[in-house]
Amino acid sequence: MSLALSRCLWQVLSRQTASLSLLGENVRSPWFAPVMTLKTSVPLSAEPKKKKRVDPRRELIMRERLRKKLKKLEKVPPELIPIEDFITSTKCLDEARTRSAAKLSFEESEGRALLLKEWCRYKQEQHMAEVQAIESALEAQREALEELRIVSEELYQAALKPDPLLFPFTHEGPVHTPPQAKYEAPEGKYNDITKVYTQ
Amino acid sequence: MAAPCRRVVSRPVIQFLSSFSRTAVGKTGFRQFSSSSACRVTLQTQDVMERATSPYSLVAAVCLQRLPVISADYKPIEQQFRDMMLQMELEKSVLSDHELRLLEDAERLRRKLADDYDSDEEGSHDDQEIVLAQDLEDSWEQKLKTFQPAPRVRDDLDKNLNSVERCLADSLVLLAEQQVGGEKIWLLPQTQWQEGETLRQTAERALASLPAAGFKATFLGNAPCGVYKYKLPKAARTENSVGTKVFFFKAILSDSSPSTAPNKSIMWLKKSELERYLKPAYFMKVNRFILNL
Repeated sequence: MSLALSRCLWQVLSRQTASLSLLGENVRSPWFAPVMTLKTSVPLSAEPKKKKRVDPRRELIMRERLRKKLKKLEKVPPELIPIEDFITSTKCLDEARTRSAAKLSFEESEGRALLLKEWCRYKQEQHMAEVQAIESALEAQREALEELRIVSEELYQAALKPDPLLFPFTHEGPVHTPPQAKYEAPEGKYNDITKVYTQ
Repeated sequence: MAAPCRRVVSRPVIQFLSSFSRTAVGKTGFRQFSSSSACRVTLQTQDVMERATSPYSLVAAVCLQRLPVISADYKPIEQQFRDMMLQMELEKSVLSDHELRLLEDAERLRRKLADDYDSDEEGSHDDQEIVLAQDLEDSWEQKLKTFQPAPRVRDDLDKNLNSVERCLADSLVLLAEQQVGGEKIWLLPQTQWQEGETLRQTAERALASLPAAGFKATFLGNAPCGVYKYKLPKAARTENSVGTKVFFFKAILSDSSPSTAPNKSIMWLKKSELERYLKPAYFMKVNRFILNL
């Protein structure tokens, strides 16, 4: 194969030189340039390319572009934290766990419906009473501030100022049984297995 | 600064006071309300004299409340509803692990006691045979019984009006017996206002000056929550003092030292019991801002 290639090349060269020599001696070919004219031959007559300065910059630009593409690919939106209350665990869907549904008698279901309505009425009364109580308290305070303004303007302004020491205000709410004076709670240890999610 | 203010609002003050004395129903022996015309006359004369301070002396009182310590008992309808809700929730639920275990144990026991029992069929259930779920339940009940909670209702304490630990399910208001113009009456603790302090500081002073000390209270804000005005009887009226304005400030008892012996001069009352001990006109004003929530 290489023999054929070299024969081809030789043929090409011989043809070229033949054609060139026919035209005249002035034709210069890069193949057979005389040594004297080495300095002014075609490839050496152009300015040398300034590769050393442009290359680093080009390389840097290329690297930055690649980095940006990588970052865009890596930008995954953060995984949402699952709300455990909304996920029904598969344990609950197990068929072996269903209760035998007891059928309600007609009186029972009627009784329940009537009780629900009574409860509705009771809660509404409670709410209206609450709203009225709050309104009357607000009215009493408004009157008090009016009277105070009549008495003295500076006391009124002092009363209007917010109290910075009031908040944060905490109060322990009502419990089922009152606290005992001398009660020692039993010592205990527990393992906290709540799952903590981080984004 | 107070003088021009007063001149500007004098007319509405007259109208307000006249309307107030018309509507108030006070028939107390000590505080009397003059007729509207007399009130108008006195104010006009004062207006003419252009006094720097208002004719009413200022007094600040504190309404100290002890919030409920235990939850209130269920009313009948609440109890009924609660039972029904628990029943409904039980019906709609699925069996828990503990219940399943109970059922399995009962099943296994039933099979053991049956005539054709073959222990080889059971397989290796060595651990579960030793401790049944029923035994666990019994041991838990035993543990609960060893704990003795404090009683919710103590009748002897409830009847003692001076103790702060009565009626733990309701919110109580502090009343003190104080001398006002020659009479000892039950009212919310109050003192006279002094120059250079705000009314809230006066209220704090009123609380601190009670003979039964040791009340740690959180005052709710700088603004008064109510006002009560009264005029002195005509005999005691002078040019400078027509009456008194009492401003009430709300406070919540944060922590009372239980070591203080109940004092006879202070009372802790529920909202329903207040009417018996306070003067009618005073009670009408005070009842508005004491919430039973």
